[in-house]
Amino acid sequence: MSRSVVYTASPLLASKTPVWRSKFIVAAIALGFVALALRAAYVQVFDNAFFQRQGEVRFARTLELPANRGRLLDRNGFILASSVPAASIWAIPEDVDQDKPEVRAKLKELARLMDMPLAELLKKLADEDKTFVWIKRQLDWDVGQKIAALDIKGIYQRKEYKRQYPEGEAAAHVVGFTNVEDHGQEGMELAFDKALAGKPGSRRVIKDRLGRVVEGVGTDVPPVDGKDMQLSIDSKVQFFAYQKLRDQVIANKAKAGSVVVLDAHTGEVLALANYPSYNQNNREHLSGEQLRNRAITDTFEPGSTMKPITIGTALELGRVKHDTVIDTTPGKYSLGGFTISDTHNYGALTVDGVIQKSSNIGALKVAQRMSPQEMWNVHTALGYGQRPQIAFPGAASGRLRPWKTWKPIEQATIAYGYGLSASLFQMARSYTVFSNDGKVIPATMLKAAEAPVGTQIFSARTAELVRHMLWLAAGPGGTGQKAQTVGYSVGGKSGTARKQSGKGYAAGKYRAWFTGMAPIDQPRIIVAVMIDEPSAGSYYGGTVAGPVFSEVVQQTLRLMGVPPDMAVKPQIVANPVEEPL
Amino acid sequence: MIRLNLVLLLAVVASALYLVHTQYESRLLYTALDRAAAQARQLETEHQRLQVEKRAQATPLRVEQLARDRLKMRAATPAISQYVTDGAATGAANGGAQ
Repeated sequence: MSRSVVYTASPLLASKTPVWRSKFIVAAIALGFVALALRAAYVQVFDNAFFQRQGEVRFARTLELPANRGRLLDRNGFILASSVPAASIWAIPEDVDQDKPEVRAKLKELARLMDMPLAELLKKLADEDKTFVWIKRQLDWDVGQKIAALDIKGIYQRKEYKRQYPEGEAAAHVVGFTNVEDHGQEGMELAFDKALAGKPGSRRVIKDRLGRVVEGVGTDVPPVDGKDMQLSIDSKVQFFAYQKLRDQVIANKAKAGSVVVLDAHTGEVLALANYPSYNQNNREHLSGEQLRNRAITDTFEPGSTMKPITIGTALELGRVKHDTVIDTTPGKYSLGGFTISDTHNYGALTVDGVIQKSSNIGALKVAQRMSPQEMWNVHTALGYGQRPQIAFPGAASGRLRPWKTWKPIEQATIAYGYGLSASLFQMARSYTVFSNDGKVIPATMLKAAEAPVGTQIFSARTAELVRHMLWLAAGPGGTGQKAQTVGYSVGGKSGTARKQSGKGYAAGKYRAWFTGMAPIDQPRIIVAVMIDEPSAGSYYGGTVAGPVFSEVVQQTLRLMGVPPDMAVKPQIVANPVEEPL
Repeated sequence: MIRLNLVLLLAVVASALYLVHTQYESRLLYTALDRAAAQARQLETEHQRLQVEKRAQATPLRVEQLARDRLKMRAATPAISQYVTDGAATGAANGGAQ
C-alpha cells in the first residue's frame, strides 16, 4: 500500500506562520551586529590602549643601547685609559657533554685559550644543577672570537667592555682603575666617574619571529657617551719621573717613594708617581702598599723643606733681611727641656746661609722674631693643614695645630719642619708661592685652559730672594748639590726627617725629601721628591732624593722645549774638520 | 552614481595596496638602517680598540727601550745639543749651547 506524498500541499506550508517569528530572527541578527559593533568600538576606541599594549608586549622589545665610557687622555691627547670590547665566557654546565671525546678535546683547547688549568675549568662545569656559570670574564676580544669558533655546545659569551691602560704602572696611581662593572675604583677613574660614565639609552623595536628588528616604535632615547677627560698629566714626564724614582728607590733599598711635578705657573700636575706601583691591566695579588697613592694620601713631617717658608714669612714681615746675621753657635740650643742641634757648628750665618746650610737653629731663631699667629696665617694660606682643592679621592689634609695652642718649643720645631705634617703634594703646591712671584696657585689634575687666579702671599721681591736662597742651597756649599743638572739652573731644599713611630722618633729610619724648581730665574716646573726609609748607607734628602730631582728636571725641561739657561761645555763639534791622514 | 562609486572603490583599493607596499618598503629600509648602525658601532669600537693598541705600541717605555737597544740611541742633554735661534741666525753658527 502506498501513499504518495504531495509536497506542495505540505500541511506545514499550509499553516500560517506568525509574523513575530521572522521579526524575532531579524531582531536577533540585528542585535548580534549591534553587539559586534559595540565590541569593535570597545576594542578600537574605549579600551584601545590596553589592546595596543598587549599587542606590543608580544612583539616589541626594549633594546638597551650601552653608552661608551669616556677616555682619559693626557695633556697631549695620548690615551691613558680607554674602553675596549671584551668577551665574557659563561656556560650552562648541563648542556656541555663532557663525556664525548671531541668535546673533551675542545674543552682542553678552550682552557688553553683562556689561560686556565683544565682542572679548574672542569670544576666550574661540575655542578650540573646550575643553569648559569661565569667561566671567565673580560677576555680579550680576539680570544673571544677564537672561542666562538670552537663552537662548544653549552658555552656562550657576552660582550662587555673593559678598560685598557697603555701606560700601565707608570701612571697607575693617577689614572686608577674600574671594576668589572665599569665603575671607577681609584684615582681619576673614581674622581671623574660620573662624567666618564655616560648614560645608556634605549630603543623600542618590533622584532619578527626570527628576532630581526623590523620596526621602531615610540621615541628612541639615544645613549649619551661619557665625556673624554683631558688630564694635566704629560705621559712622557710621568714615565720618566716614575722610572727615575723606581731606580732610586731600588738602588737605595728604600721602602717607597713619590714624586710630584707641577707646572710652576698654571698649577697643573704634570706627573705624579709613586713606587711601589702596580699594573692596572693585571690586578691579581695587589697589596695595599702598591695601591697607596702616597704623594696624596700620606702625610709626614716635612723637615727642612719647610725652612724656606719660615724664612719667606720673616722676610715678608721685615723681621730679617737676606743678609741679616744669625748666630748659630755652638750648634746646640736648649728650649723648654729639649735640645735642638745642627749637624755642625756653623757659627754666624746670614739668612741666605741658614737655608744654604740648612741650620735648624738659624731657622728657629728667625721664627722667634715672629708671633705664632703670623706663622700660622702664612702656613694656612699656603695650604698646610687644609684639604687640597684637587679632584683626588682621599687627599689628606695634613696637620697644623691652631696657633693658640703653640708652645715656644712647637713654634721652634715648626720653623724647621717638625710638629706639623703635610703630603708631598701639599709641599709641592706650597712652593708655587716662590715660583710664581709670591702668588700661591691652586693645583689641578685637568688640563687648564686659562691661567688660574692666585693668592698673593709674598711680594715678588720676597719670592725672588727665597729663590736665590734655594739656588744657593742646591749649589756649591749647599746641602742639595746632587740636584744640579746639565744646562739648567736649579734651586731647591732638601729635607731629612726622622720617622715617627709610636710616640717618639724611630732610630735609623728617615724620610729623604727634595723640593725645588727650575730654571731658577723664571721657574717652569716644581719638582718634589720623597723617598721613604732609604737604607743603603746614605739617607740625606740631598743625596738620596736630590738625584731624582735632577734627572726629572733635566728630562722634563728638555721635553717642554725649554732652552738651557746655563753655559754648558759642548761635547759636539759644529763643523768637524777632517783629520789629515 | 554607480560609476562614481566604482571609481572611488578602485581608488580606495589602490591606495590600500600602496599603503601595504609602503609599509613593506619602510620596514626593509628600517632593517637596513639598523644593520648599518650596528656596523657603525662595531667599527667605532674597533677603531677605539686599535687606537689603544697603537698607543700601547708607542708608550714611552717601549720607545725608550727600542731606541736604546735596537737603535743604539741615547738621551739628549744640553751638552750634545746645538740650540739655534729662530729667524735671524745670530750666533747660530757659533756652535755649542747658548
